[in-house]
Amino acid sequence: MDEIMAGVTQRGQGQAVSAAPEGGHQGAPTRDRGAAWFLRIVRKPRWTALLASAASLVAGVGLWQWLTESHVHLILDFSNIPTPVAVFEAFRVVVVTNAFWRDIYWSMYRIIVAFGLATVVGVSAGIAMGYSAILRLVIAPYVEMLRPIPAIAWVPMAILVWPTTEESIISITFLGAVFPIVLNTWEGVRRVPRELVKAARSLGANRLNVLFHVVVPYAIPSITVGMALGMGGAWFALLAGEMISGRFGIGYFTWESYQLIQYGNIIVGMLTIGFLSSVSTGSIYYLKRKLVPWAE
Amino acid sequence: MRNIGNIDVRGLTLGFRNFGRTNAVVEDFSFKFDGGSFTSIIGSSGCGKSTLLNAIGGHYKPLAGQILLDGCEIKEPTASLGIVFQQHTLFPWKTVMENVRFGPMQRGVSKVRANAVAAKYIEMVGLAGYGDYYPKMLSGGMQHRAEIARALANAPAVLLMDEPFGALDAQMRASLQSSLLDIWKETHVTIIFVTHDVEEAMYLSERIVVMSRDRGRICEVFALDEPFPRNKDKLFASEGGRDLKEKCIGCLAS
Repeated sequence: MDEIMAGVTQRGQGQAVSAAPEGGHQGAPTRDRGAAWFLRIVRKPRWTALLASAASLVAGVGLWQWLTESHVHLILDFSNIPTPVAVFEAFRVVVVTNAFWRDIYWSMYRIIVAFGLATVVGVSAGIAMGYSAILRLVIAPYVEMLRPIPAIAWVPMAILVWPTTEESIISITFLGAVFPIVLNTWEGVRRVPRELVKAARSLGANRLNVLFHVVVPYAIPSITVGMALGMGGAWFALLAGEMISGRFGIGYFTWESYQLIQYGNIIVGMLTIGFLSSVSTGSIYYLKRKLVPWAE
Repeated sequence: MRNIGNIDVRGLTLGFRNFGRTNAVVEDFSFKFDGGSFTSIIGSSGCGKSTLLNAIGGHYKPLAGQILLDGCEIKEPTASLGIVFQQHTLFPWKTVMENVRFGPMQRGVSKVRANAVAAKYIEMVGLAGYGDYYPKMLSGGMQHRAEIARALANAPAVLLMDEPFGALDAQMRASLQSSLLDIWKETHVTIIFVTHDVEEAMYLSERIVVMSRDRGRICEVFALDEPFPRNKDKLFASEGGRDLKEKCIGCLAS
């Protein structure tokens, strides 16, 4: 696709140049040379940039090793914190246990169910709010009222309302994800240019087809941004839910490690959470690139 | 004159009501656009020509008066009233082919037939081979061609064009103008063409309507008898041409 685009651009430039007066002939190549020069500057030190980041990480881990090994106690107390080597050891032990993978499975399961629900509910509510004035008046007050309440604040309510802890954790995770999705969908729908809608209407599309052929496709990039933000919110809420009322789950694993004085596992849990969260957010951006190639 | 594609504007008032006060952009406008004719509407910016065109397309409700398409009042946008806007309005998530076949498919034409129709019009506007391209991969002029193809693929009775070539360079504009005339000759569609460019109006149309800034009043209607295809140099150099151009510009200035 890039090749085709380059071809079109070149053709376009060719026309512009041939139509332009003499000055245009000189202008274009200079600009190209300028761009190439700029790209060389940016691209050349790629491996040096990589090296700098790697060195920074190594230094960070080294500092951590030194702080923990020498039991530094200066405002922050490092005496109980495991060394990087100890954490790696803990990881090697825990990664072969069924319990560790079972915890990951439960967390992923909760995320998929809650996030799936949040996507369906959030996208529907956002489209309804953006497309119908009456539905906006009905839904908007709830969104505006409930949105500022952090998902963690729902924990006691959720435990009271739902019959099992499993359902309450999923509902908390759902609440962590749903609001960014609603708001970004709404925003995307609201921004649909009037001209696009008018063009579709003039081509004979009715209101429903305008919704599916114009409004929703236009909002998809915005919806995926909302989903990526929602995924972050979902993990945040899930961890809170698992730590407070969970059985199983990677948040539960981390909290349990603290209570069982398995300090190495705390950090293994934290790093696992970070990894899972960034993989799931990354997969949404991947999905976006697959879904909306025209927006890249 | 054909018996389809006649637009009859009767005592049309357009504008908006604001706390009981009426602000008229166009007031008591009446004009007949014959089926198969090519009429240009010129006027300085803000005279309501674009509003008028949108109203004919069914996008604005008149405050008073009515617009008839072959005797039936236009109440909402329909497929018989094709519009080409000044801005790019191709759907960016559809390829050129998908954009052009959108109209026929909305009318329930099968995909195979819609593809055939779309291919025909894509070729007519000189975009053969670009069917699989997304709009952003095309130059501005090519996007305009695709937009014209999309409007034509619906076989509209009337083609409404709102300064469609306003943002193009001179060369691209000239080539699109001659393509438009070829298409007009081939399809016999009624064309109402809004522009602020006097020469463009003179080169393209059979009649020129000059609107004044005073609530869209019709200043003057000029008929051009010059047969098609016209030669631009000859047209603007001839005495009649120079005279007409001066009159138009005089009207616009007043």
